[in-house]
Amino acid sequence: MRLQLNGARAFRGDWSLEAEGAFGEGIHLVSGNVGSGKSTLAQMLAGLLSPSHGTIGREGIRSSMISLQFPEYHVTGSTVAEECRSWGLDPVPVLSELNLMEKQDRAPLMLSRGELKRLHLACVLAKNYDLLLLDEPFSSLDAREKERICGLISQRTSGITVLFTHEQTTFPRVDYLWEIQQGMLIERGELPGALHDWTHAPVLIKRLMASGKNLKNISPLDLQEATCRT
Amino acid sequence: MQDVRMRIGTATLLTLVAFFSVPGAMGVFVWWLVFTPRLQEVKRIRIVAGTLGLIALAALFIIVSGGDGISYLIRMGAIILIGVWLYSEQETGEFLHLGVWLLGNRTGFELGMIAEMGMQMADSLAADLDRIRMAMTIKGQPWGVRILVPAGLILVNDALVRSQDTAELMAVRGFYRGGSFCPQFIHRRYDLIPVMAAIVVGFLAFVPVSEFLILYR
Repeated sequence: MRLQLNGARAFRGDWSLEAEGAFGEGIHLVSGNVGSGKSTLAQMLAGLLSPSHGTIGREGIRSSMISLQFPEYHVTGSTVAEECRSWGLDPVPVLSELNLMEKQDRAPLMLSRGELKRLHLACVLAKNYDLLLLDEPFSSLDAREKERICGLISQRTSGITVLFTHEQTTFPRVDYLWEIQQGMLIERGELPGALHDWTHAPVLIKRLMASGKNLKNISPLDLQEATCRT
Repeated sequence: MQDVRMRIGTATLLTLVAFFSVPGAMGVFVWWLVFTPRLQEVKRIRIVAGTLGLIALAALFIIVSGGDGISYLIRMGAIILIGVWLYSEQETGEFLHLGVWLLGNRTGFELGMIAEMGMQMADSLAADLDRIRMAMTIKGQPWGVRILVPAGLILVNDALVRSQDTAELMAVRGFYRGGSFCPQFIHRRYDLIPVMAAIVVGFLAFVPVSEFLILYR
């Protein structure tokens, strides 16, 4: 299973993004500043946006899903229960898990942003897609919910998972690291080795690395273990 | 046409001309062909095709029930085309300039602001509809008649939420009524040509020119 980018480029006025490389099976983290082009790249990989130059090839990928940054952009149901059904899911177990059963007849857009994001992620993560693209999956979530979502993402043992985020505190266990810098997608490589080259690394990770505490990965447990290590 | 007063005046005149007579509507169509970017606008504003389709359907119904559907089709078609031209030329803030110029800083300001909000809402609804279509694509669902009702409910709900947000924001900022605004307009000499042409179309449509000419034979 492989997602191959061959000089894929997107333009928007004076701004452009160029991407070269291959996403294989595992969990990939693409980090970059706000406005660097993470969402554009996610939409190109999902096939929602065609590259102006170059190509994007898919090998062995039979199903794919993209979670856009704003959960409102996914809403097609007029009630919360209908929204679950629009993802091909039975609303009862999904809404019970999220404590949203009492709100099942409400309009999805009347939920708080956090509730809607939880509902959306529950629907996206309920199925096992070969290619799962998550654009800022942790936005609008509290710390506990971020950790719960990280746990669910880490449980994906097959397929290609790509996270696009500028998150600074909570991550799942990640296999490969990428960065977007000055309009270019840069492959940093496999973790933990890639952490040394991570320019957008959160302050905590940079400090741990600087103090000689080598990290195995960047999940909350890995950071906790490295922080407590003497 | 840069001056919103000329544009709205011209559009109002042409709409009345098209509404009251078939020859007038045909004159309006010629005016539209000469003075607007024509099909570029129709292609850009996608709702136009649907609206024209609905009018054609209504015209067919009128013909079947024994009425003059062709006249209806020609007149309404011309009115829609003028509406498309007016909408596509509209710049943000113009209604506020027009409202204050016409009715002053209280009533004019409020009416202008409401009109601006209406235009913003129309743009937002178009963007929301695009997002719903994209969401359908992501979920692998076909875009068809079945989605119209839920999509409509989402759009209405979204519009109500936005209106609520705007109302709260204005209240928080202390808006009570009216406002202070200095209207400004851009004039171009060339703009007088389409205005004069619209007046000529109106004159030809309303004045019985043929009878007037017969008198001189």
